[in-house]
Amino acid sequence: MSRQNFCGSAEHGVSRRTFFGTTMFAGATAFAANMRVMDALKNPCLASELKRQQKSVILLWLGGGASQFETWDPKPGRPTGGPFRAISTDTPSVQISELLPKMAQRLKTTAIIRSLNTRNADHGGGTRLMECGRAVEQAVDYPDLGALIARELGRADSQVPDYVSMYSETEGRHKGGPGFLGARYAPTFLTESMIPPNIRRPESIPEVDHQERADLQKLLAKRFAEKRYNASVASHGMAYERVRGIMASETLFDINQEPQSARDFYGPTQFQEQCLIARRLVEAGVPFVKVARAWWDSHGQNFETHLELCADLDQGMSALLDDLKQRGLLDSTLVITLAEFGRTPGINASLGRDHFASAWSCTLSGCGIKGGSVYGKTDPDGHKVEDGEMKAGDLFATIFAALGVDYKKEYHLGARPIPIVDFGCKPVPEILA
Amino acid sequence: MTSSDPTKFKVTKTARLKGIALCIANLPGTERVFFGSSDFKVYELDLAAEKPQPVEFTGEGHQSYVTGAALAGPQLVTGGYDGRLIWWDLEKREPVRTVPAHEKWIRNVVASPDGKVIASVADDMLCKMWDAGTGNLLHTLVEHKPMTPHHFPSMLFAVAFSADGQLVATGDKVGHVAVWEVATGKKISELEAPVMYTWDPKQRRHSIGGIRSLAFSADGKLLAAGGIGTIGNIDHLDGPSRIEIFDWAARQRTQEISDTKFKGLVEQIAFPREGTWFVCSGGDNGGFVSFYDWQTGKVVHQDKVPMHVHKFVLNDTQDTLYAAGHDQIAVVEFKAVPVPAEPVAPAS
Repeated sequence: MSRQNFCGSAEHGVSRRTFFGTTMFAGATAFAANMRVMDALKNPCLASELKRQQKSVILLWLGGGASQFETWDPKPGRPTGGPFRAISTDTPSVQISELLPKMAQRLKTTAIIRSLNTRNADHGGGTRLMECGRAVEQAVDYPDLGALIARELGRADSQVPDYVSMYSETEGRHKGGPGFLGARYAPTFLTESMIPPNIRRPESIPEVDHQERADLQKLLAKRFAEKRYNASVASHGMAYERVRGIMASETLFDINQEPQSARDFYGPTQFQEQCLIARRLVEAGVPFVKVARAWWDSHGQNFETHLELCADLDQGMSALLDDLKQRGLLDSTLVITLAEFGRTPGINASLGRDHFASAWSCTLSGCGIKGGSVYGKTDPDGHKVEDGEMKAGDLFATIFAALGVDYKKEYHLGARPIPIVDFGCKPVPEILA
Repeated sequence: MTSSDPTKFKVTKTARLKGIALCIANLPGTERVFFGSSDFKVYELDLAAEKPQPVEFTGEGHQSYVTGAALAGPQLVTGGYDGRLIWWDLEKREPVRTVPAHEKWIRNVVASPDGKVIASVADDMLCKMWDAGTGNLLHTLVEHKPMTPHHFPSMLFAVAFSADGQLVATGDKVGHVAVWEVATGKKISELEAPVMYTWDPKQRRHSIGGIRSLAFSADGKLLAAGGIGTIGNIDHLDGPSRIEIFDWAARQRTQEISDTKFKGLVEQIAFPREGTWFVCSGGDNGGFVSFYDWQTGKVVHQDKVPMHVHKFVLNDTQDTLYAAGHDQIAVVEFKAVPVPAEPVAPAS
């Protein structure tokens, strides 16, 4: 795979990783003092690159398929609408389900997309489609959104993981992955425990020994680099730093590090605790965190299921947005709610809703998003999209545009150019800030 | 002597509906039923007609699913997910009184046998007792916890009066049952049926089930609770229909019926005035009616019905039930075949 210049322009022939790689040892504070960097800031693409830095994504994955009727696109009083009311929000003329009262007061930071038509109502196929933004192709192993974001927003000198995926539920659990981008962008995948496995120092190595080994390695590497500096040497040293950083990041996943008031603010459920961990990770510089909240597959008792799960989502998501905002992180963090599909307009005999991918909803909050906007429209009973139909690729293009990533970018797999979003897909400017 | 025989089970009539019938009441001595629907409306249906057609009640009605219906004298009282109780004039089919009764969904509404007291249960986890004649609040029964042990909102589904009208029982999502004195509103017993509540701690991390139905035996000594047993995959109602019978005063379970032949929720239970059987109904994607012997727990008779049954009502002769369910109302008869009289020998 060959590398493309990050802004796609021939005259700006500096890649991100070269950029950060060459300045890696300068350190953050010495950065601006480096004249090469100061010159680089005059370059619009590099300025844009710097702007992109520290941007992050938190994906709240509603595994199993949340109902758009009971969340973002209510149809009260219609035969398909179910029993819940629609409630007013902090955004005039926008209503959402009464099951999300806290989010109703936070829509000024959120755009609702009501017009996804993704045509795949199978759990496996729909998951893959919405993870990668395009249909599966036998010849190409496409990376998922987390890997793409890790590739585009991850810092080469980062000492924290680029991509963390929390999917503690067995049902629908899917690791996703980096595809052709390679293992460098694979997720740190948390399933049974909220602490990453195998990052602890083996008990057989005392802390003193561990530290002394690190110091020795650092000293030798520094001496070596002084006389024989090149990219390979830099990369080698960087790998060591990265491993040490990740080993030291265990506390990031430990919510006991947070005061009780912060934990209470998020709430006691596993999803709510994972939202708190996501904030800690983003604050520490992790560019992509997925919090999967399964399992919304409400073929039976849809309304009771959503009474429980929406309460969980409403509390966790609203606390997350508030916390990010209070910390000044919301402008640089894009929070997404997404699933593999929505649920049918028809209510079955078990008072459930089944799989439905023809007209469903998702949300984007925070970074780069025009808050309070609603894009797309479904018909009065929610059977089909009437206006603004979006495909998975359009959503991905919009996500990239919100983050300042060039959605027209191409990777190369051998000689084959692979666009970062599916062919013909483009962002929706109406919901971009 | 009873006119019923569960083994003579027969679905004799169905009436197709546009919505989901969620509750039903029957005017004694007639085949007129009143049902609440998922279209937020209340209807009358005369099942004596060859082709019964629903007649809509008019005026300002409910604003969500109508889930409870009870007759109190000349009035029908309905409750809905809008938290309101509405008293309706049966003949004019118009509301006469609307009470903002609960802050959350009303799950069921029942009337005492003498028609003087109405009880409503809702997801605010309160049972409220009302003077059926005036709509005045008599008691608020506070017992059921608002949150499940897993930090999710709980639900209060079931309520039933005893045949003498002196007791009322309430049952919630996590399987907790309370028995109360109607006159005082005092709790006199509590029972637990935790198997009715399935919490999936790992694969789906939410719950399903709950006590969906309660009924006292004719003598008031036993209390049956209905719901669904433990479910493996809680995406569906794929668990055994379940009934637990208690000697509520002794706080002892006397029967535990877990029936895998017909799966799903037991949405309604009724004991006849006499006999050793009781009847229940509900379902998953399909529906069933089952008769069990309450002394042995054995099946007397059970069969499919055309739809998931949300509620039913026995007629006053207790040989027919009118079932409200998914997109239809069904009439199920179980009438004893009259024994021909012995020929009388002519006098010599």
